[in-house]
Amino acid sequence: MQKVKRILYSQKIAPYVFVLPFVLTFLVFFLYPLTTTIKMSFQDILPGQEQWVGLKNYQRLLTDKVFGQAVFNSLRYMVITCALLIPFPMLFAYMISSRSMKFAGAFKSIYFVPVLSSVVVAGLIFRMMFAEQPDAMMNSLLALFGQPAIWWLKLEYPSLLALVLLCCWRWTGMNMLYYLAGIKSIPTELYEAADIDGASAVQKFTKIGWPLLKPTTIYVLTISIYAGLAMFTESYMVFGNNASPHNYGLTIVGYLYRYGFEKLRMGYASAVGLALLVGALALNLVQLRLTGTIGKRGDK
Amino acid sequence: MTTLETKTSRMPKSKRDYSPAARIFLLLFFTALAILVMIPLIAMVLGTFKGGAEMWRSGLNLKPEFQMWSLDYWRYLFTGITVDGELLPHKYFTWFGNSLMITVIQTVLSLFISAFVAYGFEMYHFKGKNAIFLCVLMEMMIPFEILMLPMYVQANAMGLLDNMWGIMLPFLASVSAIFFFKQYLSGLPKDLLDAGRVDGCNEYSIFFRIILPIMGPAMSSMAVLVGMGAWNSLLWPMLVLTSMDKYTLPIGLNTLFTPYGNNYDLLICGSCFAILPILLIYIFAQKFIVEGMTAGAVKG
Amino acid sequence: MKRTLSLLIALVMVLGMCSFASAEGATKLTLWTFIDQHATFYNTMAEEWNKANPDRQVELEATVLGYDDMHNKFKIALQSGVGAPDMCDVELGQFPNVLLGEPQLVVLNDYMAPYIDTIVPSRLSIYSKGDNHYGVPTHVGATVAFYNVELLEAAGVDYKTIVTWDDWAEAGRKLKAANPEAYMGNAETTTSWQTNLMLTQQGADVQDNSNPDDPKPTVNTPELLKAVTMQQEWVKEGLSMVCPGGQVDTEQGKAWVNTGVCATVIMPEWYMSRFVDEIPDMAGKYAIAPAPVFEAGQPRSIGGGGTGTVVSLTCPDKDLAADFIVYAKLSEFGEQMIWNVMGFDPVNTAVWDDQELTHNPENKFNKYFLTNVFDTLNEVKDEIMYIPSTSISPTMNTYFNTTLWNNLYIDLLDPAEELQLAQDAIEADIF
Repeated sequence: MQKVKRILYSQKIAPYVFVLPFVLTFLVFFLYPLTTTIKMSFQDILPGQEQWVGLKNYQRLLTDKVFGQAVFNSLRYMVITCALLIPFPMLFAYMISSRSMKFAGAFKSIYFVPVLSSVVVAGLIFRMMFAEQPDAMMNSLLALFGQPAIWWLKLEYPSLLALVLLCCWRWTGMNMLYYLAGIKSIPTELYEAADIDGASAVQKFTKIGWPLLKPTTIYVLTISIYAGLAMFTESYMVFGNNASPHNYGLTIVGYLYRYGFEKLRMGYASAVGLALLVGALALNLVQLRLTGTIGKRGDK
Repeated sequence: MTTLETKTSRMPKSKRDYSPAARIFLLLFFTALAILVMIPLIAMVLGTFKGGAEMWRSGLNLKPEFQMWSLDYWRYLFTGITVDGELLPHKYFTWFGNSLMITVIQTVLSLFISAFVAYGFEMYHFKGKNAIFLCVLMEMMIPFEILMLPMYVQANAMGLLDNMWGIMLPFLASVSAIFFFKQYLSGLPKDLLDAGRVDGCNEYSIFFRIILPIMGPAMSSMAVLVGMGAWNSLLWPMLVLTSMDKYTLPIGLNTLFTPYGNNYDLLICGSCFAILPILLIYIFAQKFIVEGMTAGAVKG
Repeated sequence: MKRTLSLLIALVMVLGMCSFASAEGATKLTLWTFIDQHATFYNTMAEEWNKANPDRQVELEATVLGYDDMHNKFKIALQSGVGAPDMCDVELGQFPNVLLGEPQLVVLNDYMAPYIDTIVPSRLSIYSKGDNHYGVPTHVGATVAFYNVELLEAAGVDYKTIVTWDDWAEAGRKLKAANPEAYMGNAETTTSWQTNLMLTQQGADVQDNSNPDDPKPTVNTPELLKAVTMQQEWVKEGLSMVCPGGQVDTEQGKAWVNTGVCATVIMPEWYMSRFVDEIPDMAGKYAIAPAPVFEAGQPRSIGGGGTGTVVSLTCPDKDLAADFIVYAKLSEFGEQMIWNVMGFDPVNTAVWDDQELTHNPENKFNKYFLTNVFDTLNEVKDEIMYIPSTSISPTMNTYFNTTLWNNLYIDLLDPAEELQLAQDAIEADIF
C-alpha cells in the first residue's frame, strides 16, 4: 500500500496522473470512435448487415453534387461570417474601450445577451422573424420601403442572410469580449507616446491597435473557421428541419447527419465525416504554419 | 510581460480620448447597435404576451398590438393552467432543473479536471508530453459532429444512454479549457512548485493548495464558457437522452416544435425564460470574465 | 375542446396508473410516438386491455418525442441493436428507413390475422417488406375534398357539380372573379398529397416497382408532367396559391385555412381532426366530397400519410407487445376510439357501416362539417389507391420536397425540364 502511494506521489509518476483524465477521455471518446469511423467508411452498413465495399463510399462522395453543394454552403457561410465577425467586433471593442466612452459596461452587457441564448431559442426567434407572413418582422421591414413581402426562408440569399444575421447576432458580443481582453493587455504607454507624437485616432488604431491585436485576431479567426465549418444546428433550427428548400441551408455536418441518422447510411456518413476531418485539419494546419498560433475547440 | 502581472496589476483604461463630437457620435452609434441587438429579444418578449398561435399566424414582429396581450401564456408556464383555464401539466421545470443540474455539475467537474490536466502539462516535463499535447490540439481541431455516430455506439456500450453522465463524460476533460488553463499557468513562476515542496507539500497538494486558489480569474471566465456550452448544448444530449423526464431544456424546447400537440405557448414563454438564469450569472460574473480572459486567453 | 378531452384522458391515465400500481406483475412496455394524441390514446387502450386481460397486465410507458428526433433515434437504435423502445409509431414516409437491411422488427402477420380480412389491404402493404407485415396501421387516410361552401356559394358555385379538374378550375375562375382575395386551392411545396392523387388517378406512380427488390424512379413521365403542369398553370393563373408553410398540415398552413380564403382543401381524411382542433373559425363552413378527377370514372381517392406501429426485436415480451398493439389499433373498441377521439377513418372498413358510430350527431367531427365524412368515404371506398413506399421513397421525397416542387410552383420553371433534372438527380442519389 505504502509502496503504491510512494510511486503515485513520486515526481516521475505524478505528471502522468495529472494528464490521465485527458488520456482516458481521448482514448475512449475520441481515438476509438475515430478508428471506428475510419473502418465504417470502407463499409456498407445496414441493420443486421455489414459488408466491405472498399473505396465505394469515397468515390460516391466525389461525384455527389449535393455534397458539393453542402461543402460550398459551409465554406461560403464560413467566409462570410469570418469577414463580418472579425473586423466589426474588433472595431466595436476598440471604440467602446476608449476612456471617453460613457456607459460602456451597460453596452457590453447588452451585446452579450444574445451569446447567452441557446441555438434553439435563437433559431426560433429568427425563424419567426423571417417567417413568410406579411406581418412578420422582416416582411414588415420590406413594407416600410414599399416592397412586397417575400418568402425569406425559401430563397437563396434571403435565407443566407437569416443564417448570417443569426450568427452575427449571437457572436458579435462574444468576439468583442475576446478583443476587449486583447485591448486590455496593450500597454497604455504606447498611446501616451502616440499622443505626444500627435497621432490621430485612426492612426492610433492602425499603428498600435491593429498590430498588437494580431494574436487575438488569429485566435478569433481560428474559432470562427471551426464554427463556420461545423455549422449545423443553426440551419436545422432556422429551417425547422434538415431539408431546406433547394438545400440552401444544407451544410457538411447537415449532410453527414442526413446520411448517418436520417437515411441510416452510416458507412457513407463516416466517409463524409472523415472528409470534413481532413478538411478541418488541413485548414488548421495551414493556419498553424502561417501564424504559429492555435485555436480552441468549442464545447458541445 | 507575464500574464500574472496582467491579472494582478489593474491597468488603467487606454489613453484614448475623443473630441466631444466624436463622443456623441460614439454614444449614438453604440445606442443604435444596442437597439439592433435588442430587436430580436424584444420581438420574442412581445411574442410571449401574444401567445404561440399568434406567433405562427404572423411570425414575430415589433408591433405591440396591446389588444392581444395576455398573461395567460406565462401563467401556463408557471402553473400548468392553459389559456382555456384547464390544467395540462407540462415538464418545463423538470427540464429546467435537469439543465441546471447538468450545467452546474459539468462546469464544476470540467473546470476542476481540466485545470488538473493543464497543470500536469504546464508544470512538468515528462516522456510523451509533446505527443499527448498534440492529441489535445488534434481534438481541438476536429468537430465533434464527425464522431457522433461511433460515440453514440460507444456511449451505448458503456451503458451511458439516457443518462446524465452520458451527456457529460465525453466533455469533462474539455480540451479548450485545458488549453486555456495551460496558457494561464504558463504565466506563473515555476518557483511556486519548489517553494511548495520545501513547505512539505506533495505533488498533488501543491496543485490543490497553491495553484488552484490562484486560478480564480481564469476559472471564472472559463466557467462562463463551459457553463454556456453545457446549458445550451443540443446535438449530443438529443442523441443520448430518451426519456422525457431526463431531457435538458434545449431538447425539451425542441420537442415543443412538433406540430402534433398544443405546445407553442409553452415554447415561446419557455424560450424567453430559458435565457434568464445564465443572464443573471453573467451579470454577476461579468467583471471577472474580461479579467480572466485577459490573463489567459490569447497572447502574442 | 381538445383540451377538455386531453384533461379527461389525463384523468383516465391517472386512474389507470393507480390500477397499474395495484396490479401485481404487470409487464412494463415502452412506446415512442411523435404525436401527443397518440400517447393519450395508447394509455386509454392500455387501461382497456388490462380490464380485458387480467392475467396479462401491461404497464405502458408512452414517450412523446419530436418527429425528426424520434425517428432518427429509433433508426439509430435499430442500427446499433440497443436502446430501442418496445414499440414505436413510425410515420409512413420514414417506414422504408426502418425496413433497411434485415428489419429488426417483429413480423406481425400472425398477430393481425383475425382482422386482416376487413382491413384495407394497401394499408398493410405500405408497412411491409415482401409478405411480412411490420406495422399496425392507424387509419386509411382516404383523400377527400373539403369545400368551403360559404365562399363558393357567394361566387355562385355549387361544389356538388364539380367532377373533373377542369370543372374545378372553372369554378376557381368564377370564384376569383367574384372574390379576388380567395383561392380555389393550394400548391404544395413540402409534400405530395395532391400530386400523388393526380398520379394514381392516371394509373401512374413515381417509381417502377415491377421488381420489388430494385425499385426505379420514374419521374419524367407524361402522367407526372400532366399533373404538375396543371398545378403550375393554376398557380400562374392565381387559382391556387403556394401554400404557406409548404402544405396545409403545418402551423402556417392551418392559420391560412383559418383565414377563410381557401375554397378547397384536398387532403387525407385525417385532416378533419386538424380542422376541428386548430381551425376553429371555419366550423360549419366546410363540406366533404370526393376529390375531382381528370375524367369521370377514374379513382377519386388515395390513402395518404399514416403511422405504422412496430414492435422491436429487442422487446423482452414480443407476444404481449404485439397482442397489445394489435388490440389497441385494430379491435372494434380501438377502431371506435380512433374515430371518436382522433377523428381518423379506421382501417377496419367494417366499422364504416356502423351508422350509430359514424353518424353520431354528438360527435365533434360530425358537428363541425356540413356533410358526413363517411358518406363520402363509403362512396369512394373501392377507389382508394395507394403509392407504395419503398427503399427509394425517402430519397425521392427529399428531392421533391426540397427542390422539385419549389422549382415548379415558386420559381415557375419549365416542368418538362425540371422533371428530367429530377430524374437524373434522384438516379444519382440512390444507393
